[in-house]
Amino acid sequence: MIPWDKLHGAITHFPIALLLFSTACDFVSITLKKLPFARELRLVSLYALAIAALASLGAVISGIALSKGDMWGRGAFGWHHRFVWPAFGLLVALAVWRLVVREATSRFGLCVYLCLLLLAAGLIAAAGYFGGELLLSGGGLP
Amino acid sequence: MMTPLEIKGAIAAVITSAVILVATFTAGGIYRNRYETETQPATEPLTPEKLAAKGRSFFFQSCAHCHGQDADGGEDAPSLRKLQISGAHMALVIRSGIKDEMPSFAKKYNEQDVTVSEAYLKTLR
Repeated sequence: MIPWDKLHGAITHFPIALLLFSTACDFVSITLKKLPFARELRLVSLYALAIAALASLGAVISGIALSKGDMWGRGAFGWHHRFVWPAFGLLVALAVWRLVVREATSRFGLCVYLCLLLLAAGLIAAAGYFGGELLLSGGGLP
Repeated sequence: MMTPLEIKGAIAAVITSAVILVATFTAGGIYRNRYETETQPATEPLTPEKLAAKGRSFFFQSCAHCHGQDADGGEDAPSLRKLQISGAHMALVIRSGIKDEMPSFAKKYNEQDVTVSEAYLKTLR
């Protein structure tokens, strides 16, 4: 029997932390362009985002197994899912876009990317918050 | 404006994301159906223990979010242990809910489902 609750709890922190880290790296590298390592920060943010997207697959699979396939639910469980699914879709999309485009971004493309990255970071933080609420309020998982 | 490479990347991103989300929801649906089929009772009449066991699975699906996994109450919902109300009253609350406090489960669960949930709640007394 796989302990899905423990597995989900362990994996799920990677996409949350890495996405927030990637967002921070991108914003620092753009606001402080003259930093000697600004370019490296952009590279770090790219890899962090790619790993976050990969880790999110593990988090989603373990989450589905844990909830016995209940993709929505009620209460904190429902709110967790309302934020998780858009965050997951956006995270995967942003990672793919970034891997395709790499450094060849236009000013407009980069602006749109950063806005969506900020949105994804907010969504995943909210999903994490409600995931924590689920844990603290005694579960609610089948 | 966006460069052709960025547009190509955006198309790839939208397609990949959509495919992964559809695959996730399809897999989740299949898993859910399989789980529900496996937890369906046999055709033979259910003993009180089996009734309560089935009610327990409904409890975890719909009640534990608020009332706590051990049914001992959550942040916004009271404990369901040692309920001093009749079985019929329990069934009524499950079906009708409580205004501004608890949703109605009349649409989600049929009479048999309510009966088994009631059987499980009685085991908590």
